[in-house]
Amino acid sequence: MRRLVYLLCFACLLFSVLLLASSSGKDDTDESDEITFKDFSLNIGDRVDLGDYRIELIEIQSVRDGLAVVRASKVGGALDEQRALLLDSSNNFDGGADHDGITVTVSDIFDEQSARVRIEYKEGLGTPRKHASERPAAALDKPELSVQKSFEKNQMSVGDVVKVIISVKNTGSGQALGIKADDSPPLPEFSYVAGYPPKIKETLDPGESDSAVYVVDAVKEGSIRVPAMTVSYTDSKKNAKSNSSDPFNIQINPKSKADLVIEPASLTTIPLDGESLLNISISNRGAASATRIEAEGTVMPSDGLPATGLDNSIFEIKPGEEVHYTARLSGKSPGNYTIRLKVSYDGGDGSVIREASAKVFVLEREYKYQYLLLIIPVVLIIAWVYRRYKVYKY
Amino acid sequence: MLNVLMLGVGQCGNRILDAVNKEAFGGGGAARLAKYYLRPKFPSRVETLAVNTAINDLKELRFTTAKDRLHVPNLHGVGANRNVGKRAFMDNRDLIMGEIEKRGDFDIAFVITSTSGGTGSSFTPLLINELKRQYREITVVTIAILPAREEGSIYLQNAAFCMRELMEVDAEGIILVDNQYMKRISGDIASAYDKINDMVAKRLLFLIESLDSEMLSVTDLGDFKTVMNGGLRIGTMGFYQADSKNQSIRDAIENSLKPANLLFPSHVADDAARAMIIIQGPKEHLDVDEITKEVERLTASAGHVFKGIVIKKGPVKVLSVFTFASASELESIYAQAARGMQDEKDKRCRARKQLDDAFAHIEDLEEIY
Repeated sequence: MRRLVYLLCFACLLFSVLLLASSSGKDDTDESDEITFKDFSLNIGDRVDLGDYRIELIEIQSVRDGLAVVRASKVGGALDEQRALLLDSSNNFDGGADHDGITVTVSDIFDEQSARVRIEYKEGLGTPRKHASERPAAALDKPELSVQKSFEKNQMSVGDVVKVIISVKNTGSGQALGIKADDSPPLPEFSYVAGYPPKIKETLDPGESDSAVYVVDAVKEGSIRVPAMTVSYTDSKKNAKSNSSDPFNIQINPKSKADLVIEPASLTTIPLDGESLLNISISNRGAASATRIEAEGTVMPSDGLPATGLDNSIFEIKPGEEVHYTARLSGKSPGNYTIRLKVSYDGGDGSVIREASAKVFVLEREYKYQYLLLIIPVVLIIAWVYRRYKVYKY
Repeated sequence: MLNVLMLGVGQCGNRILDAVNKEAFGGGGAARLAKYYLRPKFPSRVETLAVNTAINDLKELRFTTAKDRLHVPNLHGVGANRNVGKRAFMDNRDLIMGEIEKRGDFDIAFVITSTSGGTGSSFTPLLINELKRQYREITVVTIAILPAREEGSIYLQNAAFCMRELMEVDAEGIILVDNQYMKRISGDIASAYDKINDMVAKRLLFLIESLDSEMLSVTDLGDFKTVMNGGLRIGTMGFYQADSKNQSIRDAIENSLKPANLLFPSHVADDAARAMIIIQGPKEHLDVDEITKEVERLTASAGHVFKGIVIKKGPVKVLSVFTFASASELESIYAQAARGMQDEKDKRCRARKQLDDAFAHIEDLEEIY
C-alpha cells in the first residue's frame, strides 16, 4: 500500500514536472510578441535602426514647448513619415508597437540639439541600434546673456550720488530677443535720481552688449546687500531664457561733511605807522567739499588798526585742500588788537560757521628820548656831582 | 639865630676852617662824598671865608667852596714876613672887606689863624680892626694857634708879635690852641695836625650850637662875651664826651677841665678867671643839682662860671670855655721867642762882621783885566 502511495506520489510529481515543462515551451513561443522599449539619447541627425525601421531625430523645434521633430522610415519605403512630437506624448508609427509597428515618445528635450527618445516595439522586431550622425552638428543658434550689475564705488557716504551700471552681453551664438531687464525696486537706502528703470536693447546679436546707467542717491548709512537683477530674453525659437547677476554688498558710510579750519598766522607785531601782512589759511579737513565759503574779519578795537583783505570769498575747497590769502594791517595806534575771523560755508549739511582769532600788537613808538630817560638821570647826577665838584674846585 | 662869620686866615686858619666845613657835612670819611649831595649843616647861619696869599694853600682845601676861598694876590705868600703880610693886607683891604661884606651882617666872628705864619699872623690883627670898624656890634673872637717850639725862631717871633698885637686890638678875646701841646695826641705830625684841626672844628661848632640852642639853663652870646672878656681875655676850650660805661655828669664836667682835654696847657683851678660850662645830653642823665654843685665847686676857684644845659639825645658832652687870669706858658713862649730873636740877631751880626772882614782884603785893590 505504502508502495502504492509512494508510487502515486511519484506519479503525481512526474506529472507535475511534465506539466511544468509543457507550460514552459508554450511561453517561448509567445515571447517574440512581447512589447518592450528602450531609451536613446539622440543628437540631431542620430538614428536608431530597429529591424526595417529607422527612427531619426531631425530637430528640436522648441525646448520650451517640448517639440521635437522625428522622422520614422522603413526599408523598402513602406514608411517614411516625419512628425513633430510633443514631449511625453506617444506617437505610433505603422500601427504602433501593439500592431507590430513602433511607438516613439520624446521623453526629454535636453537642449536645442538633443533629446531623449523612447522607442517601444515588439521584441520580435529585433534589437534597436543607435547610429550617430556622420553629419557635423549644426551650429547652435543659442543666445546666452550675461548680466552684470555694479555700483560706481563700493564705499560711499550718505548723500553721495552714485551711478549704478547695468551691463548685458550676449555671449551665446544666437540672437537674444525680447530682452527685459528686471532690476529690484529702489532700496530704502537709496533714492533714485535719474535713469531708472534701466533700459536695455530688446535685441542683442551674438557678441553684442548693451548697458544702462541710472543714478541713485545714498540716503541711509549701513551695509547693504544689493540683490541680483534678472534679464529675461528668448532665442529665435521663442525659447524663453533668463539670467541674473550676482548679488553683492556695498557700504554706505555716514554722510561726509566738510570741516573748514581757519588759521591766522601766529602773533603779529607791527611797529607804529608800519604795515604787516597777516597770512590766513583755510583748510578743509573734512571728507566733503566745502562750498560757498565766505570769510570775513573784524578788528577789535576797531580804531587804530586798519585792515584790508580780511574778507574773502571762495567757491569751493575740496577735502584736504588748503587756501591761503593775506590781509594787510596798518598800525596806526599802539595797543593790543584782536582780529576775529569768521568763515561760513556749506559743508554738505547746511551752513556752518567757523571762527578764529589772531592777536596783533602795535608797538609804542620808540622815541629816542626813551633812551634819554635812562641817560638823563645819569647825566643829571653827573652834572650835579660835577657842579658840586666845581663848587669846591678852586 | 646867630649870624656867625668864620674866617680862616693863612694856611693854618684855612685848614681849620676846612675842618669846620667838613664837620658840617658830618665829619669823617663820609664827608668826602657827602659834599657832593649834601649842603653843610651848621647849627646857625654860618658864613665861612678862607683868606690866604698863597693860592696853593687855598687849593688844598677840600670842604670849603671855591667862592669861600679868597686869594689875596701877593706873589705866592708872604714868606712868613709879617711886614710884607701887613702891606699885602692894606693893599687888598677893600677886596677882603668887600668879600666879607657880601656875606651880610654878623653877630659874632671867629677869626682862626696861626700866630706864627706869615699871612695869618700879619693879617689877623688888621682884619680884626677892620671888622670892628665895619661891624660895630660884632663880637670878634680869635682862635689863635701857637706854633710848636721847634718850628723855628721866625715862627716864634711871629707868634710873639702877633699875640701882642692881638691883645692890643679891640677883640673880645683869644682862644688859644697850642700845637706844641696838642702834638702829643699823635706821634705822626701830619695826622696830629689833622686831629687838632678836627678837634678845634668840633668844639667851635659845639660852641655855636650851644649859643644858639634853647637851653634848660641858658648861656648866650652875652655870657660868652663876658667869659672872653675875663682875665687876660685869653682863654682856651676843654671838651669831653662821656662813654656808655660812665654817664656821670660830674665826671664829664671834671674831665672836660682836665689838662689832657684842653687845647692849651693850663690848670683851670689855678689859671681860670671866668668860665662857661655847656653840657649837652639826654634829660635822664642831666642831673641839674649835680651840675650845679660841680659848677659851684668850680666857681670857688674860677671866679664866675656860666653854665648851659642843652637837652639832646646822644652821649653826654661837655664843653668848657674859660679865660686865664694868668698865663705862665705864654711867658715861656715869649722868653723862648726872645732868645731866638737874640740868637738870630747875634748870628746876623757875626755873619756881617765876617763878610766885612772878607771884603777888607780887597779894600785897596782895583780890578785888573
